[in-house]
Amino acid sequence: MTTDIHSANWVNPNHPTPAGKPPATQVGVVGWLRANLFSGVGNSILTLVTLGVVYFVLTGLVRWLLGAYWEPVWANRKLFAVGPYPTDQLRQPAAVLLVVCALFGVSAGRWGSIIRSLAIGLGALLSVLAILPIGMQAQLLMGVAVALLVIGYLVGLKVPIATRWLMLAWLASLVFTAIVLRGGIELPRLGIAWSFAPLVDPGLYGGLMLTMILAIVGITLSFPLGVMLALGRRSTMPVIKYFSIIYIEVVRGVPLITILFLAMAMLPLFLPSGWSSPPGLVRVLTAITLFSAAYLAENVRGGLQALPNGQYEAAEALGLRHWDKLRFIILPQALTKVIPALVGQFIGLFKDTSLASLVGLLELVGIGKAVIQQPEWMGVPGGAAKEVYIFVAFVFFIFNFGLSFASRKLETKLGVGKR
Amino acid sequence: MATSTHPNARPPFYRDTQVIAILMQAFFLILVVAAGWFLYTNMTTNLAAINNASGGRLSWSFLGQTAGFEISEGPAFRPEQSYWRAYMVGLANTLRVSVAGVILATLLGVSTGIARVSNNWLLSKIALTYVEVIRSTPLLVQLLFWYFGVIATLPAVKEAAEWPGLAFLSNRGIFITWPFLTESGAPWFWWLVGGAVAGAVVAWLRRRHLVHQGLPGGGLILGVATFFLVAIVGFFVAFSAARLPDTIAYELKRGDRGTLFADADGDGKYKPEIDRALPYVPITLLDAGGQPLATETTDGDGAFRFFEAPAGGTSLTWTTPPPVFLSEPERQGFNFRGGLSLTPEFVALLLGLVVYTGAFIAEIVRAGINAVPKGQWEASRAVGLGTADTLRIIVLPQALRVIIPPLTSQYLNLVKNSSLAIAIGYPDLFYVGRVIVNQSGAEVQMILVVMATYLSFSLITSLFMNWYNRRVMIIER
Repeated sequence: MTTDIHSANWVNPNHPTPAGKPPATQVGVVGWLRANLFSGVGNSILTLVTLGVVYFVLTGLVRWLLGAYWEPVWANRKLFAVGPYPTDQLRQPAAVLLVVCALFGVSAGRWGSIIRSLAIGLGALLSVLAILPIGMQAQLLMGVAVALLVIGYLVGLKVPIATRWLMLAWLASLVFTAIVLRGGIELPRLGIAWSFAPLVDPGLYGGLMLTMILAIVGITLSFPLGVMLALGRRSTMPVIKYFSIIYIEVVRGVPLITILFLAMAMLPLFLPSGWSSPPGLVRVLTAITLFSAAYLAENVRGGLQALPNGQYEAAEALGLRHWDKLRFIILPQALTKVIPALVGQFIGLFKDTSLASLVGLLELVGIGKAVIQQPEWMGVPGGAAKEVYIFVAFVFFIFNFGLSFASRKLETKLGVGKR
Repeated sequence: MATSTHPNARPPFYRDTQVIAILMQAFFLILVVAAGWFLYTNMTTNLAAINNASGGRLSWSFLGQTAGFEISEGPAFRPEQSYWRAYMVGLANTLRVSVAGVILATLLGVSTGIARVSNNWLLSKIALTYVEVIRSTPLLVQLLFWYFGVIATLPAVKEAAEWPGLAFLSNRGIFITWPFLTESGAPWFWWLVGGAVAGAVVAWLRRRHLVHQGLPGGGLILGVATFFLVAIVGFFVAFSAARLPDTIAYELKRGDRGTLFADADGDGKYKPEIDRALPYVPITLLDAGGQPLATETTDGDGAFRFFEAPAGGTSLTWTTPPPVFLSEPERQGFNFRGGLSLTPEFVALLLGLVVYTGAFIAEIVRAGINAVPKGQWEASRAVGLGTADTLRIIVLPQALRVIIPPLTSQYLNLVKNSSLAIAIGYPDLFYVGRVIVNQSGAEVQMILVVMATYLSFSLITSLFMNWYNRRVMIIER
């Protein structure tokens, strides 16, 4: 401890300068602006030009939104929701909504993560609809649906329901939906005819309800078929392998609209002459299922390929037979891996249901086209087209953005794409 | 037991996996063939009930029948021509919108993708908004919005919006000033093709030479230089040797309109099947005394009409046109003459497809750039390269391996999505196919033809992608 500079124990006699604050241009708002917006001459010019463009676009958009004629959308809100469903039987779609909300809440409580984010989004949407003045009965329905969602969530948290019962409940809900919306069951070939209300022709299902039915039933029915095709494609038996390959490549190589027209025109041709012609809804569902199964097969195949070979080998070393190996080891892991891709596929299918409007079904886009043609709006300058299509696009956007947001959160949780 | 004493003995056939595999495949095959036969017989009986004449067999003779309908755009088509030719016109329209769409969507998508990874916060957030909004909305809704919401609300021809000297926008279409190849320019087109081939060959030879010598670099500059050299030489050669055909003749009606054409059979009358119309030729209208009244240029169909001149013309003279003619659209009555005219359907379809596919391409480019390990960016910064140079030299070449396969799928999606033209009336191959079905009743055959067309697009794309993947894939052990 000397002040001799050449000593090994030299101590600096001067007081050290106190640590200063970082320069104001490096931290806080100014620092962020410098780093992200104005980091160089070119970048600054780009920022200013972009700001100018954004300002013009935004003000124009807001001005148009406030001044647009929203009456065609508001007056037809029932059509957009359930289509031309008989107005005096709206209790039936309402019952379906309540059951689905309750089941969704229970699933959110049991499974958590992505389902819970979706349930929160759904709850927010229903609450907004409960507050908007869309009509007392509809608002009451939305309020009860939110309540059921929350109750279901609490039940799901507390009661340990096994996954298989919940899956069975969902499948049962599909059958429940089909029966309740129809008003009963009518299968003339099998001689069953039972109804609790006047039977509703499936051609009267429409609006957002029909879009949901098409998408959900489509992906549910295509799931088993898609998994079988994926397994078949990886099979060592050449007949099954080539059949799967041909099916997948043919269906993926043609546009959905081709398959829709194929189903609409040819399904009655393929059924025996005695059978009655299936309703348009059934034909479109067939087309959507067949189409979606091919894409699902490719997604599942990706998951199967990502599974390390060691899993297959270990399962065989344990002596598991073929179907047990699939059921216990392979499929649980592979399907968990492809959940983000499956959500993406559901989003795509949800958007693709809009093509059903081109074959005569009145789902959301079809109702939009019909609303534009209504005589009340013929005198409106510029027509009702812009407002109606922006509204339809907005509805799709809410659902798809919510789904893709939840999927991205799931991917972050799974650590996909990190360093 | 019995098998353990013989090491190579096979288990009994009901436990032998090979036998079971063969039995299962045979069973499956029988199932598929039985189902197919069931469907086929149903189809033929039902078809026979509908059209008694053909007895249920599929006949292809309808393809030669007269079409009887008009197609609103595309290569020239007249209702007297056959269904097959109509389908070819539809195919040409699909290719037209697909090629334009692929080029524009790639430009839009790549720039948006790079904007997404840029460190300018505003730019990347705007690109994010664009991508998220467009990817969440169905293409059909976007197309209907562009067509009914935007194009149909453009002003009428009389008050068309104008970019001076460049384009006119109206609800009858968009009309753009465009250079066209004239009669004397047609040989130049072949010079350009030859130049492209020569440039490719020179580039390949140069690259081979450099690789052989072990030197860096490629043949790109030399190839491009060769192409330009041949193009310029060809321009002058074609221009100096340019001549209008000897059999040139004209039809003059009502003193101020008619057609300029090459008369193949020498009868002085314009017959579209035999005579060839001459477009973009400068002509002068002369009156009875040989005095020039007005000058004009024939339009794309070889027709001309002197709007300003008094209807007293009796004869016509012409001069050899330059190889390239810049055609500007002019308002004539209820339509525009000249320039490149794009119908509202084409513009709406192109806009919808480009905006939609561009968003997906942006995500693919972003994923590709993000797939390059961060260490590459850090190393290139350490060496002193700036962002633009890093992207160009280090990152994008590596990103291409990840980008190209999904990019080709998106191109294929664009071609398949162009079938949505049926919603807005653009006569692509699917729309023309539906019209053929409605008129001729040949439902099954046309469905097969349409599916086969799309499948061949998809097959060509897969072949290319497999070739590319094999070339660039990383060989693992």
